[in-house]
Amino acid sequence: MLAAPLARSASLDAQVRDAAGRPLADAVVYAIPGSTHEARPARAPVAVEQIDREFVPYVTVVQVGTTVTFPNRDPILHHVYSFSPAKTIDIPLYTGKSPMEVLFDKPGVVTLGCNIHDWMIGYILVVPTAHFARTDARGVARLRDMPSGAYDVHAWHPQQRAALAPQRVTLDAPSAPSLEFSIDAPPRKPKYKPPLDRMKY
Amino acid sequence: MSVPAAPPPRKKPWITLNSLGTRLVIFFVALLVLVQGLSAFLVTQANFQIARETIDGELEQGERVFRKLLSQNQARLEQGVAILSSDFAFRQAIASNDNGTILSVLRNHGARLGANVMTLASLENIVRADTLEEARVGKTFAFADLIRLAEADGKASSVVIRDGKLYQLVVVPVLAPEPIAWVGLAFEVDDRVAKELNELTGLEVSFASRIGEAPWKLHASTLSPTLRPSLLGALAGETGLSPRVHDLDVGGDEYETRLTRLESRPETAIVAILQKPLEIGLAPFRRISSSFFWLTVTGLTFLVAGSLVIARSITRPVHRLAEAANRVQQGDYSRHVDVEHRDEIGQLAVSFNHMLDGIVSREREILRLAYEDGLTALPNRAMFNEQLGQAVRTAKRANQQLSVLVFDMDRFKAINDTLGHPVGDQALREVGVRVRNALRDSDIVARLGGDEFAVLLTTSESMEAARVVAGKIQKALEEPLVIDGQPMDMAASIGIARFPEHGEDASALMRAADVAMYEAKRAKTGYALYDPTHDERRQEFLTLLGELRRAVDAGELVLHYQPKMDLKEGRVTAVEALVRWRHPQRGFVDPAQFIPFAEQTGYISAITRWVVSRAVEQCGVWERTGLRIRMSVNISARDLQTGDALVQHVSQALLDAELPAGMLCLEITESGLMEDPGSAQSTLRKLRELGVTTSIDDYGTGYSSLAYIKQLAVNELKIDRAFVAGMEADRRNAAIVRSTIELGHNLGLTVVAEGVETDHELAELRRYGCDFAQGFYFARPMPAASFERWLSGVREKGAVAARSDALGEA
Repeated sequence: MLAAPLARSASLDAQVRDAAGRPLADAVVYAIPGSTHEARPARAPVAVEQIDREFVPYVTVVQVGTTVTFPNRDPILHHVYSFSPAKTIDIPLYTGKSPMEVLFDKPGVVTLGCNIHDWMIGYILVVPTAHFARTDARGVARLRDMPSGAYDVHAWHPQQRAALAPQRVTLDAPSAPSLEFSIDAPPRKPKYKPPLDRMKY
Repeated sequence: MSVPAAPPPRKKPWITLNSLGTRLVIFFVALLVLVQGLSAFLVTQANFQIARETIDGELEQGERVFRKLLSQNQARLEQGVAILSSDFAFRQAIASNDNGTILSVLRNHGARLGANVMTLASLENIVRADTLEEARVGKTFAFADLIRLAEADGKASSVVIRDGKLYQLVVVPVLAPEPIAWVGLAFEVDDRVAKELNELTGLEVSFASRIGEAPWKLHASTLSPTLRPSLLGALAGETGLSPRVHDLDVGGDEYETRLTRLESRPETAIVAILQKPLEIGLAPFRRISSSFFWLTVTGLTFLVAGSLVIARSITRPVHRLAEAANRVQQGDYSRHVDVEHRDEIGQLAVSFNHMLDGIVSREREILRLAYEDGLTALPNRAMFNEQLGQAVRTAKRANQQLSVLVFDMDRFKAINDTLGHPVGDQALREVGVRVRNALRDSDIVARLGGDEFAVLLTTSESMEAARVVAGKIQKALEEPLVIDGQPMDMAASIGIARFPEHGEDASALMRAADVAMYEAKRAKTGYALYDPTHDERRQEFLTLLGELRRAVDAGELVLHYQPKMDLKEGRVTAVEALVRWRHPQRGFVDPAQFIPFAEQTGYISAITRWVVSRAVEQCGVWERTGLRIRMSVNISARDLQTGDALVQHVSQALLDAELPAGMLCLEITESGLMEDPGSAQSTLRKLRELGVTTSIDDYGTGYSSLAYIKQLAVNELKIDRAFVAGMEADRRNAAIVRSTIELGHNLGLTVVAEGVETDHELAELRRYGCDFAQGFYFARPMPAASFERWLSGVREKGAVAARSDALGEA
């Protein structure tokens, strides 16, 4: 049964907390439409930068088919790689503009590393939907411009200890339902990074 | 004289001396060995302790080094593995998920670090690849606990046992950049590892493990293969659960041992065994012990030599002293011991010499006392017998003659008794001096004891010479002795015996001389030559004496009674009881034969008691039949000396006979009174107090002074028959009798004349006023019955007729 297409768009708020109830940042909330697949074309390329020997942002969400660039903003070289099954990347030492654009054509988690800076780690979550958002420091993610309809809403975090079951929600504009997710993930422990002044670059 | 021969010395002296030296050596050697041994023991103990502590210290330090090395080694491995695991190509290969690639990259990169086994495990602890054992793939990784440690720290390592081998296992994650798998690299702990550690720590290093209660298994060791089983044996009792210091015996050598636990699994004990042989710590002390031993040996040598020298220096003089003592034992007093040193032994030698002098002088004194008479300083009986024996032997060989003279003092006992022993001793000394001076030096004069002396004439061969010597002795004693200003007459009775005619040996000669002396005394001849008949007489005397002892009990004694005529009243009023011995073989024995001997032997007391009892009894019998006759009984000087015994006996006899004391008269001779005037006086007084009449018998023979008579408690004087019998022939006797009668009357005494035998005598006595007369003129002594008949006859005929009858009878 096909309902009349809803011209009006809706939005979805999600509050993500850890097991202790603290707001969890860098979590990804994405919604997969339940019935008809509305093929929305992938957006413009996304950049995952390297700034002060860190991947920025730490967690990036992209829709399948998105191209990602890895511009190096540091004055030193980086060697970005990924052995993840969703996408293997190997961009040997470079600086400045990303030597290549990488197309993420499969959904999944892609863990990014730098071969010469062991502490550098970043995640790209490739999702098969255009509706996704990353929680801010308050643990809140807001999904906007979503057509009315039913969605399976997923939450994910790089350090999560177990996969979370999706929550089904039906959006009907102008309502903006609010969901709550609790993800069992330890607080982020940044790896040791040598201070800059000791880096002779 | 000869000293008894000394017995031979029991021991040879050098054995004793030698053993003294030996004891000295043994003592010092034992002392040194003891002290050295003790200090060696203590030092060894201390050394052992020090060595052990040193080794323990080294071991402890070694263990710290070992631990440090182990952790450094571990860190190095961990670092190496960590670097390996972050190698991009390695990670790329692991991420490729191609098993062949993974296995080869594991082998390749593991070889770079020298790992023996490499394992790849998934994040779910499932083995994905193993370079040693393909079969493990797909199974759970055996050391999951290490993965848990590595999750926290990024790396982990431990010592593990896999397939019976000991490994250092390092586990690290494969980061991409977050963990995608675990890689484990195992480095076998083998002898090479142990050897490296040994080179760095200087300790013997072994690795052993045991699972549960299973026996220990040795994985690696620096000990030689032959020692390893014994190490395991020594470990058998150890749990390995706590680090401890042990003293293990490995292959016969002692090892100080520390067990160091390498992991903390409860069911598995894996230990590193760190050891150091105790011998290394002891080695320096062993060198000292060796020096100590040789020092002791050298010390012992010098000690033995020194002890022997000292012992010899002691024993040599002791030896000489012992030799000297042996000489003394054998009677050789001639040599003193030489005094060499002024030490203790020297003092002993000096003392020994003093002792020797003392022995010599004492022996001389003992000999002198043994052979010399202490009173007169003349040879004593023993000496005389010895000299006589020698003289007899000499005479026998030379076919010569010799004479022995034995003499004693007449009435010497009276001197002793009346004047006391000190006076008697002085008299004997004087006699000794006089006789000694009177004879030649070659004549031997000895005092045999008491008042008995002896003379040995060896050079006078003839009988005549012996007589001359006897005369000399008598002449020497003629002059009265003056003792304490009191003169006293002394006469000797000398017996002479001659060798060989009177005896073949000394004792026979002495006996013969003795017999001769008694004969001289008996016969009052001054001296007598031995005559065998003397022996017979003496024998008879001895027999008689024995028989006399029986006589009283056997009733052989009887009393005869001699009448005492009262001259004033002309009738018999008293009798004198006279004892007679009716011997079963000899018939009547003359009292003169046995009374003197009874007095000599003291047996007279028994006789007197019997006579008193019997006479008093008879007197009582007569008294009761109306015959009133006073009874006179003779007592001897000895009886007076018994004092109270006599008085009591007399008193009892009178009581028994129910006789008034006045009826009894006791007669004692004047000479008897003079023997012991003191006791005589006191006894006579007691008798008179009893009421008994007392009489002095044989008056005129005893030289008593009237003053003395006056003091005596006597009632009666009896004039000796010698004076009465001599009245007719010698007017002087008559004068004595007359004056005695007057004297007695003046002193208030009754006077009795004895031995009246003629009319003339009787008439004279009457004229002089004599109170009583007694003698054969009237009647002989007769038995009681005869006396009774005689008396009745006299009474019938009248006093005068009776007198003539009596004469007729006599």
